[in-house]
Amino acid sequence: MKMYKLMLGLVLAGLVSLSAQAIEQRDYHKDVIGKDCKSCHDQGVKNYPSDQACLQCHDVDELAEETARSEEDKWQNPHNNLHYGKELPCIECHGEHKAKKPICSNCHTFKYDKHKE
Amino acid sequence: MSNKDLLGRRNFIKGMGAAAGVAMAAPALAVSESANGVKWDKEVEVLIIGSGFAGLAAAIEATRKGAKDVHIFEKMSYFGGNSAINGGLFAAPDTPMQKQEGVKDSVDTMVADQLAAGRGIADEALLRHVAEHAVEALQMTLDAGSEYHPYLQQLGGHSVARTYQTTVSCGAGITQPLLQECRKLGVHTHNRAKFDGFILDEKGGVVGVKMREGYYFDKPESGELVRIKARRGVIMATGGFAQNINMRMAQDPTLTAEVGCTNAPGATGEGMFEMFRLGAVPVHLAHIQSGPWASPDEGGFGYVSNYSIYNFPHSIAIDRLTGKRFMNEIADRKTRADAELNCRDAQGNALPPILITSYEDSKQHPNTKKVLKYNVGWKFDSIDALAKHFEVPLAPLKKQIAEYNEYVKTQSDPQFGKNMTEAKGKFIQAPFTVVRLWPKVHYCQGGVQINTKAEVKDSLTGKPISGLYAAGEVCGGIHGVSRLGSCSIPECMVMGMTAARIMMQA
Ligand SMILES: Cc1cc2nc3c(=O)[nH]c(=O)nc-3n(C[C@H](O)[C@H](O)[C@H](O)COP(=O)(O)OP(=O)(O)OC[C@H]3O[C@@H](n4cnc5c(N)ncnc54)[C@H](O)[C@@H]3O)c2cc1C
Repeated sequence: MKMYKLMLGLVLAGLVSLSAQAIEQRDYHKDVIGKDCKSCHDQGVKNYPSDQACLQCHDVDELAEETARSEEDKWQNPHNNLHYGKELPCIECHGEHKAKKPICSNCHTFKYDKHKE
Repeated sequence: MSNKDLLGRRNFIKGMGAAAGVAMAAPALAVSESANGVKWDKEVEVLIIGSGFAGLAAAIEATRKGAKDVHIFEKMSYFGGNSAINGGLFAAPDTPMQKQEGVKDSVDTMVADQLAAGRGIADEALLRHVAEHAVEALQMTLDAGSEYHPYLQQLGGHSVARTYQTTVSCGAGITQPLLQECRKLGVHTHNRAKFDGFILDEKGGVVGVKMREGYYFDKPESGELVRIKARRGVIMATGGFAQNINMRMAQDPTLTAEVGCTNAPGATGEGMFEMFRLGAVPVHLAHIQSGPWASPDEGGFGYVSNYSIYNFPHSIAIDRLTGKRFMNEIADRKTRADAELNCRDAQGNALPPILITSYEDSKQHPNTKKVLKYNVGWKFDSIDALAKHFEVPLAPLKKQIAEYNEYVKTQSDPQFGKNMTEAKGKFIQAPFTVVRLWPKVHYCQGGVQINTKAEVKDSLTGKPISGLYAAGEVCGGIHGVSRLGSCSIPECMVMGMTAARIMMQA
């Protein structure tokens, strides 16, 4: 739902185009966000996106459901984990332009096969 | 520190993961300033810095004592500090579970155990104050919804079983309920807010702080500086400095960036430095504890640490070069860490010793499953297979196990004087589970001096610095040379609660 609103907004605004410089971007983000840096970089292009930026389109409860694990490992759910619940800001584990290790790898050897590192 | 040094240092520790941010984090501009003519951006009633056990307990207690406008400021993007990744082990004397299990204990006994590990330089008054109020802190966690395993554990250096552990075997089983409780009570919690110095009145008392809001840990100069007035005072609950490589090496040059560390990345100590700058008394900074239960096969505390802590009483630790035991498996931490560091191959290279436990006993703890599943521990059906895997000489190992099993029977360990009470009936027999051990930098016994009112003493006047309180690992001298396991949670919480009580009375 939110996603459509954002897309509509982008279309109406006319895509603000970026310099030719290619940057790493997830395919599904290319489709939705295109080259409008500011749709994520809400604190200025030189700064990280705010902790709310990703939540314009992504819903943490939905994410937590998608990455739920078996009862035995339920607290290894990165989107609802033992140490920080659902509160860990996205950028602690995800980097859009540069791959990043999940924060849990500081202490654990968990494997998250779909996580881009 | 010049910029050039910073860069050199940065290159030196490049690739050290979380540690890389640390050397750069030294704030160049943080100094206290006078409140004279300050334009306050905000005003709060109770101002708490740090969101671990000490800060959370202080916030809850302040609210219970009538404070209406309590704020916790945390520099990281997430709340909880070391407390949120801690082992969830909580020692207290005279508890309901001790009564249930028939364990005889008292405040005096707990203090005596801690004084022994403190090797003559612990602070008896503070230890006593904490032990006397530990059950109140435990109750605060229960009220907030913490749950504990239905059994007690006897940790190294403790003369009786007095340690509770959360069912999730982690401090998060306490910090998460306390954080929710704070919010339920209306405590304001701010992340990405870094304390950057005190603001003082004419008499040198603390009346407010400088804070960087919108702070990003990997960008030291980030955030906007605001000045916040604290009507009742400031509680510093900023934790230890084990992740500050420069600082820990200044105290102990052997604790280089290569030595593992169990702490959260934010344990860099600048809150403590600012208090020193103000005049606080530095105590025991060189006493930095390494954890003897850590594993070289995973980062930080991981899964193995709690596995070993639970299993040490009924396990044997073996030097792989000799096939023999080399320590009392439940001696205090310093004794064990020093003994482990001596386990080396013929060339003098580190040869992490192994901890052998009967699967029958180890499987009682939930971490055993995790340790095996995540390949940081191994299961063997015979001594032969185990010896072969770790290249331990078989004959001496077999002999050692037979001898130790005799000690289990006679309840006395002539080899290392281990207290065999908790090992009763627990023979070392197949199948076995095994982990490797190597100490990691874990806890700072040193910090600022406080009294039993959580007031911070001024080194020049000998009097408390007005408006300033400190609680938790940022304080020093309480435990002396070696803190006993599970004694930090009660200390952090009791001193946080104490700071709040005293502040609300003042
Ligand atoms: C892995 C691990 C396991 C442990 N297990 C146990 C155990 O089972 N039992 C036990 O008793 N003890 C244990 N300990 C020790 C105990 O957890 C710590 O001593 C305790 O958590 C310290 O609590 P604290 O509230 O003082 O500090 P912390 O919990 O570290 O909180 C301090 C907070 O202050 C923040 N901060 C620092 N500087 C600033 C600043 N300038 N501005 C704003 N915020 C700042 C930090 O980011 C941090 O979040 C363990 C420690 C570790 C690391």
